[in-house]
Amino acid sequence: MVAPLPLPTGERGRVRGSNLEIGILHVIARETMSSRTAKVPQTQFRKRDLFYLVPLWFISLIAPDPYLYHKKGFKKKDIFYLAVICLAPLIWSDSHFHHLMVLAGIYAILALGLSLFMGYAGQISLGHAAFFGIGAYTTAILTTRYAVPTFLAFWASALTAALIAHLMGRPILKLKGYFLALATLGFGEIFLVIVRESTNLTGGVIGIFGIPWFSVLGFSFDTYLKQYYLAWGVVTGLFIFSKNLVRSKVGRALLAVAASEDAASSVGMNVSKTKLEIFVLGAAFAGWAGSLFACIMSTASPEAFSLGFTILVVMMVVLGGMGNLYGPIGGALLLTWLMDLLSKYQEYSLPIYSVILILFLIFFPDGIGARLNVRVIYLIGYWAKKKKRNKGKL
Amino acid sequence: MSLWTYIPQLLFSGLTIGAIYALVALGFVTISRASQIINFAQGEFVMLGGVITFFLLKGVKLPYPLAALIAVLMVVLIGFAMHLSILYPLRKASILILIMATLGASIFLSSTSGLLFGTLPKTLPPFSSEGPLQLGKISVSPQSLWVLLSTFILLIFLYLLSHRTLLGKAMEASSTDPLGADLLGISRNLMVFLAFGVSAGVGAIAGILITPIFFTSYSSGALLGLKGFISAVLGGWGKNSGAILGGFALGIVESLSLAFIPSGYKDGVAFVILLLILYFRPKGILGSPFIDSRRW
Repeated sequence: MVAPLPLPTGERGRVRGSNLEIGILHVIARETMSSRTAKVPQTQFRKRDLFYLVPLWFISLIAPDPYLYHKKGFKKKDIFYLAVICLAPLIWSDSHFHHLMVLAGIYAILALGLSLFMGYAGQISLGHAAFFGIGAYTTAILTTRYAVPTFLAFWASALTAALIAHLMGRPILKLKGYFLALATLGFGEIFLVIVRESTNLTGGVIGIFGIPWFSVLGFSFDTYLKQYYLAWGVVTGLFIFSKNLVRSKVGRALLAVAASEDAASSVGMNVSKTKLEIFVLGAAFAGWAGSLFACIMSTASPEAFSLGFTILVVMMVVLGGMGNLYGPIGGALLLTWLMDLLSKYQEYSLPIYSVILILFLIFFPDGIGARLNVRVIYLIGYWAKKKKRNKGKL
Repeated sequence: MSLWTYIPQLLFSGLTIGAIYALVALGFVTISRASQIINFAQGEFVMLGGVITFFLLKGVKLPYPLAALIAVLMVVLIGFAMHLSILYPLRKASILILIMATLGASIFLSSTSGLLFGTLPKTLPPFSSEGPLQLGKISVSPQSLWVLLSTFILLIFLYLLSHRTLLGKAMEASSTDPLGADLLGISRNLMVFLAFGVSAGVGAIAGILITPIFFTSYSSGALLGLKGFISAVLGGWGKNSGAILGGFALGIVESLSLAFIPSGYKDGVAFVILLLILYFRPKGILGSPFIDSRRW
């Protein structure tokens, strides 16, 4: 009567799909093999190869390689991304754009932490909005009630979120699959109820207003442009940290836990400790993001941390692609822009948003980046074959 | 001592809401018996049942029984459509994708319902128009009796469906032993399809039963769905009897908690119970056929 255990999530994302470079090699190999059967000299330069090799080369310049965790360090591409992030607000100096990118940066921090937990360790969390909220409320309460400097509150938020995650994670992380999802969801709901009801501490449904701007040593981040560099600076720092983390012993332990907990524990890994560590780390990321969010929006109210927000953040991780670190950042950018585009349609925005999410899930279950590359390679390979077939050479 | 005079009254209202939780939980269990899917949009079926009946009754001015019947059929069709458009294309996807897709469907159903039928909370007239009955010290609204009666009839129907018909056996087989079901020529996709219809129908009936007592608005489905799921886990995941027991237990505990804690915390009670049960006895009160007792 015991049903087979479900596969851990994230596993599929890593097994399926292929690396862009391998894809190019694959196309070339197929081409040369088929040309060998057609008795075409291999050394012959064919102009038509440029048709697909040049666009593929361009894509490989811009698109992140989704399966980098086994590769060494940073690439030139990362410097390119960093340059784009630094220069974008200067080129496109529109305050709406700046504000949107600040939000995208904050969501990217949150999604990065969640991606470590979901994409690498293969667990499911629908309660990360609660840690975001804990971070935001810690900052709000400390700065407005006790006049703590925002920089200290920033660290205190991450610490509080991590502490609560440690207490919560110990019982919750025994669970798997649907039940882990449900338990984390339940934690999020309990957080919302507590925030709404403890009016003295959190201001109830109305929330807390008048949180000061983020400031370090007297330098206040009071314009959108400064906030942009603050948010994306934090994203860059945490990205470098995460990237080093997933290539360390801890990161490899996470992959092992995602692949098979039994196998991981049989080679002497402390599975529950590994899961707890990464859960706490993800919560700390969420705490930092929440603290920045509170400083930038200057309010904290319970509506911002509801189930809908959790769905948005998890979608960022899923759509960006599980098991790589560029995914959540790309997903955060994509969904923030999507929400902004849809907000024009007022009451029609939620139905359109949900339909788009479902379509993305059906057609790109491994994340947009991964599947897009595979599709492009497939289409180009198909196109090349079709040309040959038309010439009667295949 | 005034607290204790409320207890019987709270117990009875807990029984009524517990019946609704039991029906929602049965919707979850029906689907989970046919496949390992958990449909997070189950609560939206409940909401749609109430809202569509209200629309047919007040907007189209159909007689009450006809409106209720058409509403149930429409929700069943929505359940079928949801399976064909979302769950069928994703039948090989991982758990996380399924969770996100059904949550997306839940957003879609609730927001579309708000768009089509308006965002104001809706209420239906009770099934019979007598005033509240006095049983000793507690007053009982006739609608609560209707709820309990209908729940009982539906429970018998679902029991017969799952234990006494070939269809029910085939549904269970396709979940517990997919390979065996395939070898016996059971179409697993068809079984999940039918299970979605049944669970949507049960959800819609629960919605029609509950709307005269509690207000139903376009956004009330999500919480109801979650509480139904908690009931199913509390009683024992994957068991009809567990769903019923869990539903009544959750309803009564939640209702009794009103006597001891501020009413704002009522929604938190269910989730605290959930965390406790998941920690101490994840297979639920009655045990679960799907959860390995030692490690899961």
